[in-house]
Amino acid sequence: MAEQKKSLDRIKKARDLWEENVLKKRLKRFNLAESPTRFYTPLDIRGFEFLDKVGFPGQYPYTAGNNPFDFWRAYADSAAKTDYRPDWGGAGGVGKYGGFGTAEDYRDYLIRMHAMGRKGGPNMAFDLVTQCGYDSDSPYAEGEVGRVGVAIDSFKDFATIYEPYTGDLEIDRVPSNFTINAPAAVIIAMYVVLAQKRGIPLAKLRGTPQNDILKEFIARGTYIFPPKPSLRLFRDICVFCTGNLPELNITSMGGYHIREAGATPAQDLGFSMANAAAYLQAGIDGGLEIDRFAPKFTFNAFGGSMEIYQEIAFQRAARRMYARMLKERFSAKNPRSLMIRQPITAHIGCSSTTLQRPLNNLTRAVVGGVAAGMSGALPGVFPPFDEPLGLGHSQEAVQLQIDATRILIYEARVTDVNDPWAGSYFMESLTDEIEAAAMAEFEKIESMGGAVAAIENGYMPKAVAKSAYERQKQIERQEKFLVGVNCFTGANEITVEVNRVVEATYDPERMRTAEARQKAKLAELKRTRDSRTVFSLLATLEQHARDESANLMPDICDCVENDATLQEICDVLRGVFGEFQQTRL
Amino acid sequence: MNQGGKIRVLVAKPGLDGHERGAQVVAYGLRDAGFEVIYTGLRQTAEQIVSTAIQEDVDVVGLSILSGAHLSLTRKVMDGLKAQGADDILVIVGGIIPDPDIQKLKDMGVGEVFVSGTPVSAIAQYIASAVSTRKNAG
Amino acid sequence: MNDSWENLIAGVKNRDIRAAARLITRVENRAPGWKEAMSRIYSRTGSARVIGITGSPGAGKSTLTCAMTKELISRGLTVGIIAIDPSSPFSGGALLGDRLRMKEIFETPGVFIRSMATRGMLGGLCQAARDVVRILDLFGKDIILVETVGVGQDEIEVVKTADLVMVVCMPGQGDGIQAIKAGVMEIADLYVVNKADMPGVDEAVADILAMLELSTETGKPSAPVLKTSALKNQGVKEVVTAFLDHRTDEDRRQAKAEIRAREEILSLLAQEVSGYILKQWENENRFCESVNQVLKKQKDPYAIVKEMTQRFNWS
Repeated sequence: MAEQKKSLDRIKKARDLWEENVLKKRLKRFNLAESPTRFYTPLDIRGFEFLDKVGFPGQYPYTAGNNPFDFWRAYADSAAKTDYRPDWGGAGGVGKYGGFGTAEDYRDYLIRMHAMGRKGGPNMAFDLVTQCGYDSDSPYAEGEVGRVGVAIDSFKDFATIYEPYTGDLEIDRVPSNFTINAPAAVIIAMYVVLAQKRGIPLAKLRGTPQNDILKEFIARGTYIFPPKPSLRLFRDICVFCTGNLPELNITSMGGYHIREAGATPAQDLGFSMANAAAYLQAGIDGGLEIDRFAPKFTFNAFGGSMEIYQEIAFQRAARRMYARMLKERFSAKNPRSLMIRQPITAHIGCSSTTLQRPLNNLTRAVVGGVAAGMSGALPGVFPPFDEPLGLGHSQEAVQLQIDATRILIYEARVTDVNDPWAGSYFMESLTDEIEAAAMAEFEKIESMGGAVAAIENGYMPKAVAKSAYERQKQIERQEKFLVGVNCFTGANEITVEVNRVVEATYDPERMRTAEARQKAKLAELKRTRDSRTVFSLLATLEQHARDESANLMPDICDCVENDATLQEICDVLRGVFGEFQQTRL
Repeated sequence: MNQGGKIRVLVAKPGLDGHERGAQVVAYGLRDAGFEVIYTGLRQTAEQIVSTAIQEDVDVVGLSILSGAHLSLTRKVMDGLKAQGADDILVIVGGIIPDPDIQKLKDMGVGEVFVSGTPVSAIAQYIASAVSTRKNAG
Repeated sequence: MNDSWENLIAGVKNRDIRAAARLITRVENRAPGWKEAMSRIYSRTGSARVIGITGSPGAGKSTLTCAMTKELISRGLTVGIIAIDPSSPFSGGALLGDRLRMKEIFETPGVFIRSMATRGMLGGLCQAARDVVRILDLFGKDIILVETVGVGQDEIEVVKTADLVMVVCMPGQGDGIQAIKAGVMEIADLYVVNKADMPGVDEAVADILAMLELSTETGKPSAPVLKTSALKNQGVKEVVTAFLDHRTDEDRRQAKAEIRAREEILSLLAQEVSGYILKQWENENRFCESVNQVLKKQKDPYAIVKEMTQRFNWS
């Protein structure tokens, strides 16, 4: 100890001398008050305890990563030798995220993909109408049916999508992803009913519903009910799935969306931890033991900026913070409960891409890939460079994105070392800094009464909006620089032309007619189904919804099975729970 | 119409798209540029936007759309304003708008389209000059 | 559209929404001729009931306003809403967000909503709000709800011009109730504890009752305290009934009316006179100069005002 102190004293003395004799001279020469760079020394991480702060990969507090090495790393060489395309799905993985038009349109698209060898499980994007709990015949639906995803009004639609998923692709063999939040209970119920009708044991169903409603109030905006009853629905899903679908992930929490909405990294991490705490508490309040359900919580790729050091430190801080929260606050013991499981780690986020000179986005995404590779994950280069053009991803953009990831793995060998920054004076100090700032945000929210309260009083959404505006002002004042946007835009710059062949594009004709076809189908369903049974099941649902202690999943399954529509179910719940009202800016 | 008065702008998000960042940033930015901004939040129907624009007697309606439904949603707002005899109100659109659609929006009568990356100060400047031109013309 | 004052006024009388909206804009902007226009419509106003709504931020005033409007409409009454938000003192702009909580009534026939910024007018907000109330009155609205955040003195002055003042608060807002004590206690005719589904509602009611008890000793008539949950539409009917049935006793009403008339004349006069003088000074570009002189301690404000007014031989 005394030895260590002596050594630090020596370093301090040396640093003071360096500042005086070297740095100050330089500052004077360039007429600067402050150095534009920083240099870190052991003085910046006084009291650093390796085992406490970092530990070994795959061990608490998971700063150095969730595993000694990930499964993809084990098979990296054989993947290269066999031309394995992970984005195509197969080998029991999910396929590419997508969805459009009616269930028939999306089904036919999937059949076409399967014929091309892309046999991953469905990874469904839903249209906004479905995401907001309306049917295709609602006045709110006009112009939006099947646009940003597939339209689902009833179980029949859901079952249609799964028609090609039989045999080798049976639902006990391939997982499904559902990017659905407010009506997650209804979509999960459809999955359950599908399995029951096919005679597949529920325990064999795999997949991930996004089911992260709290962040919808902060970022994405596809909420329906107020936060409190929304959390009750989460509890019902959590308890139901833990008991009946033990292989299904319960949620994929999105720090990503919160950042994209404008949050600072500290807000992003603090808010996400507060949301996670609320979900975990909901499971416990539902009578579950923490280690029974926490291992089925996943995260939806934290990250979202170009600042590479910060994003690496962010991942390390996030893993440590989550692990500590689970262990200390929730007394979890199962290592899987303590881990932030996410498909990739750092990435630049779509909001870092620019419409101006779009090929630069490839360079940007590579930076995110490096950050991911250096923070314990596949160095996923994301998104494709043509993302901000809003026209779908071209074949070239997707190929370049995948190749970039491969180059980082195989040529740059970015992922040969676990947590390569461990022990860096700078990185450890930055990790502590981000963790402390996130903790301060987290505690602020806890002092308000937790995530639900901090949504009800508008704190989290407003804070994110303000940060977004701050950032915009920094860009406009040229305090932050975006190449080709607010600097280096002179006459000598040229725009590199991009090729635009969009692969397997959604059929525009089908897109155009989707709304009419979907509405016709819905009218037919309502005419031919046993509506008396539907109404009586909806009445039961309503009655149980009023009883806060009741789990609504069995009722929702009954409604779905008997062709109650998504909106009919949501309307019953709207009647009991009310609808969320935004707070003012 | 309102000589010497403040420029009033309705910032609205039509449709179900919940990506609010752009609209919020523009609302804050236009306030700081000295405009009176009426902010109505998410999920506005065209009818709601039209009725708000008229009751608030705004000079400008700014629509923020990132869902790809910009053509049909903007069309509905333009038709609604026209039906109420309020098509003298300047309409501008912001969001993820693919190049080929920009002209289509302008053909509908949209004054200007602002794609992502546009500085708010540029939007404010456009509004100030377009509104003063219109007032002098009217 | 022919935007002459006559046409606009005629349009308002014919219940033309655009004409009403434009007349409000022009009067609010103090466009030349506004006083004559207001003078022309004055005699035709006075039939609407004006309810001032104020209270601490976050108490749910806009949501309550929306819920009350639905109730009023269901009783066959028409409603005008004036939602006032502060202007930024730095840019002069404003973010007017009250409509966010009123979406349900955007298209309800019989409802007219107008967002209004305080515009930092020297005591002028009060008059501008009064003017907008009169235009909505002429427009045929039976009930006019004037909603403000009860923080600034200006805004308190605004609700004072109403026939009846409603103060909204929420449970667990110890500070909010303190604020009420400080500012609007004397003018409240009705208290509403909103968000009554939250814990602490009974304490909030008890707090207000305790304050009322104290003040009735000093002669102020008692005011009812009601509970609502505007989001769930609970207790709203009762509030509406309470303010529709509210009758101020004749002496108090008379006294109030006299104070109001006196205040309005004084405020118009003050604005007229200061406006007149300021305009001349601004024409000569001397106002900014004067402010700078005070900042630089070259002159004091007393001397400057004396200078401004001495050409009228007033001081």
